[in-house]
Amino acid sequence: MVAGEKVLQMIGISPLTAKKIKRFRSIRRGYWSLVVFALLVFLSLFAELLVNNRAIVVSYNGRLYFPTYGNMIPGSVFGLDYEYETNYRQLAKKFRAEQDGNWIVMPPVPYGPYENDLSAGRYPPTPPSFSQKHYLGTDTSGRDVLARLVYGFRTAILFSLALLAITYVTGIIIGCAMGYWGGLFDLLLQRIIEVWSNIPVLYVIIIISSLLVPSFVILLVIMACFGWVSRTWIMRTVTYKEREREYVLAARALGASDLRIVLSHIIPNTVSIIITFVPFSIAEGIIALTSLDYLGFGLPPPTPSWGELLHQGWTNMDAWWIVCSVVVALVLTLTLVTFIGEAIREAFDPKMHTTYE
Amino acid sequence: MRYERQIVKFLICLAAVLIVLGCSSDKSDEQQHPDRTQAGQIKSGPVYPPFRAPYSKEGLPKNIKWLTNDSDPTFASPKAVKGGTLRLALLSFPLTFRVVGPDSNSSFRSAILGNQLSLVSIHPNTERIIPEIATHWAFGDDKKTMYFKLNKKARWSDGLPVTAHDFAYTLKFMRSPYIIAPWYNDYYTNVIDKVIVYDDYTLAVVARHPQPDLALKLSLAPTPSQFYGDLKDGFVQEYNWKIAPNTGPYRITSFKKGKYVEFSRKADWWAKDLRYFKNRFNVDRVRYVVVKDFNMAWEYFKKGSLDVFPLTMPDFWHNKTKVPVFEKGYIHKIWFFNDTQQSASGFWLNQDKEPFGDVRVRYAFAHALNLDKVIKTVLHGDYFRLEQGFVGYGDYTNESIKARRFDIGKVEKYMLEAGWKRGPDGIWQKNGRRFSVTVTYSNGGNTPWLVVLKEEAKKAGLELNLEKLDPSAAYKKILEKKHQAALVAWSTSLRPQYWEHFHSVNAHKPQTNNITNTDDPAMDRLIDAYRNSTDEQQRKKLSRQIQARIHEIGCFVPTFMVPYVRQACWRWWRLPGPPEGTRHTGNLFEPFDSATGGLFWFDAGAHDETIKAMEAGTAFEPVTIVDKFYCQGKDYCK
Repeated sequence: MVAGEKVLQMIGISPLTAKKIKRFRSIRRGYWSLVVFALLVFLSLFAELLVNNRAIVVSYNGRLYFPTYGNMIPGSVFGLDYEYETNYRQLAKKFRAEQDGNWIVMPPVPYGPYENDLSAGRYPPTPPSFSQKHYLGTDTSGRDVLARLVYGFRTAILFSLALLAITYVTGIIIGCAMGYWGGLFDLLLQRIIEVWSNIPVLYVIIIISSLLVPSFVILLVIMACFGWVSRTWIMRTVTYKEREREYVLAARALGASDLRIVLSHIIPNTVSIIITFVPFSIAEGIIALTSLDYLGFGLPPPTPSWGELLHQGWTNMDAWWIVCSVVVALVLTLTLVTFIGEAIREAFDPKMHTTYE
Repeated sequence: MRYERQIVKFLICLAAVLIVLGCSSDKSDEQQHPDRTQAGQIKSGPVYPPFRAPYSKEGLPKNIKWLTNDSDPTFASPKAVKGGTLRLALLSFPLTFRVVGPDSNSSFRSAILGNQLSLVSIHPNTERIIPEIATHWAFGDDKKTMYFKLNKKARWSDGLPVTAHDFAYTLKFMRSPYIIAPWYNDYYTNVIDKVIVYDDYTLAVVARHPQPDLALKLSLAPTPSQFYGDLKDGFVQEYNWKIAPNTGPYRITSFKKGKYVEFSRKADWWAKDLRYFKNRFNVDRVRYVVVKDFNMAWEYFKKGSLDVFPLTMPDFWHNKTKVPVFEKGYIHKIWFFNDTQQSASGFWLNQDKEPFGDVRVRYAFAHALNLDKVIKTVLHGDYFRLEQGFVGYGDYTNESIKARRFDIGKVEKYMLEAGWKRGPDGIWQKNGRRFSVTVTYSNGGNTPWLVVLKEEAKKAGLELNLEKLDPSAAYKKILEKKHQAALVAWSTSLRPQYWEHFHSVNAHKPQTNNITNTDDPAMDRLIDAYRNSTDEQQRKKLSRQIQARIHEIGCFVPTFMVPYVRQACWRWWRLPGPPEGTRHTGNLFEPFDSATGGLFWFDAGAHDETIKAMEAGTAFEPVTIVDKFYCQGKDYCK
């Protein structure tokens, strides 16, 4: 561990922060939650290789094809009689039957999030089936629930992270400025923020998305427009406190500019407070997107989303696999995030460093 | 301190006054109705002297040829018996009992209007004119006048006879500015010209212009002048909750605002033995109970607090009925195929927006939509393919038109002809433009099948983008003709209406119903001829030609139709069938409608038997009636 601390110090992390990280690692529940969560996010970035109706590798007549990324490969390339995208599951069956040395590697879940697996006589939604490889069944349009869940997770988490980055950067800049300069600037901005934070976000989004079809970016911009507000208050308060400390006075006496004082003195000393809010903000982002999709004001169909699945599950309670899958997924994700948040909060608790052991 | 005390006293007094006022407002609610003797009981009598129109100085034309219809088949069952109460759900209490003026256009209005007979009606099976208040009618030579002889037995519910003056009063009433109903003001001025009274029981109604289907336009309903008198300011408020006398089989006898409305059968109704009314309108009471939520109404129904329930939605018919009350046969399911006008529902392609300027692309679009697969899978086979926009209009429908089916080969043929090529993503391309079409729609219930259509269309090289908007935003976008393809279902009328949807007069400008921007000289000629003709045979022929032309232009891709109703009823309800209803029946348990309603009756024996069986827990055979009487010989009926 000592070596680890040295490494941290070598890459420019202060001993204080290193101590916090060490403390975080010692909280097993939070630490492992972070590991699992990071792994899930990482895997979801490569979901196309794990959950997809396109094959990973096709070997046909001695040539290798990698259809996962890039343009679609028409069926005629593989000797099929159609010009549209190859159905790799059927192709795999064909190859197996012919035994000409052609082979296919399919992802573990061989269904895409948009693809409808429908055949006459079997009305969607269909229950989970291992033989069909629909591990969590299909939804009301015959799409694989697991595939929708995985891609929906990716959308939600990317949305949440992007929202987090935008709101924190804006919130920290504005909060810092308010706290550092104070006076009339602070007073005016406070009033503006008070007015701004009284606008009901949900209704604004509902109104906007009833007029135009909201895209990922539009939703992000709207949510970010209102999301930065809550961050400013904390930053403002802590900056107020920090700027009166001796080290700031010292820096000022040495002739450091305002920008330098804020960036290299105040922010590094206050960021630990703001960081404890991060996991909860991620959870908020996921919940916001899910509830918007649930209400039908989120991302347009057929984008895979948890909210849309939740809505389907709610209106089709008989199809228990839909509502169970999405509820379990939601609960798991939010629990992981909460555990991480708890651990960070504990690790960054300033009391820990003032008590005598 | 003193002032404070006084202020407190004043506030207490004020509060007391407010409380008293607040409480008494409930009472005054009951007292507001001068025609209610006790809570909920309503009586009414003549309030004003009846209106008298001047008699015409000219007599009836000499060569007048009176017509009547006492030979068309009846459609009620002679087995029907009187009695029982039908309990129905109402999603919200009506805002008024008026049928004109502000807030009157609620769904409850049809219950009140169903008890207001008109001069003549249309036979629901033969579509010929049948008598209602008039016994005889005649057509004028000018093609805009009809003469009527009234039934002398016809009575208002307050006992006064219905006379020709009451029809003249309808015109006066409907033209009055005090009713605050501009649409009616206009209709009864610019469509109906005048009512001529020859004697108390003979009249003529004259239209402004010669018209086809004159009887549909000129069959007025009488208005009780003894009830309304001379209209004045404040009509709208004064008549909000007053019960007007009517001529139909039932009248409102009690109601409680926000809770229920009860109609009772008139025991001595003047028309009860007339040929087309005999054995109909059998239940003694019809009670509309307010149940504010559809799913809640379903629970009420299963508990036996409501008598009938609509099951047209697939989920209800297939899944939600798998419960003991159905499986034990206490509730019956009925699937009744009618043969009535089908809504023109489908994709309306805007020819002013690329790529739909090219007819070959429009054809290709139609062939790229795999609607049959959607019907067979996502829609559980419950819907049927609509072949064209005007199905169910009898001889006005061109049965030879068949909608374009999913066919990748034909898509390729048309697209190659039009100079398009498949792009690297499999979607057709031309001059850097992809064959990508945005579908504007507003009903979220369409999404499950639209996403399937989207995936299937990719195979044919068409990319569909789904644009679900709020209903008003979608409506605005479509009427401003800013859409590419709009998923719209139009309401129906007795005869097909073409001018508003396909005439070039309405093309290329906002706020008209020509949402395809159809601008075709041949179509204009046909539509003008159709509108100007008063000859029925010629109109039917023109109608079929217009439909063929619409199909050629290819600006409308029909989707589905629902040529049936599905309902559930408790097993003590009896229907006349088979056939269980009429050709135009949209609700087998419609209690009032003078053309198709009131055919069912209450079987007291079966009721007691059912109640006993439910108490004992014994079961009957589950019953599902499928009645295909009116769809015999049609493709979808097999």
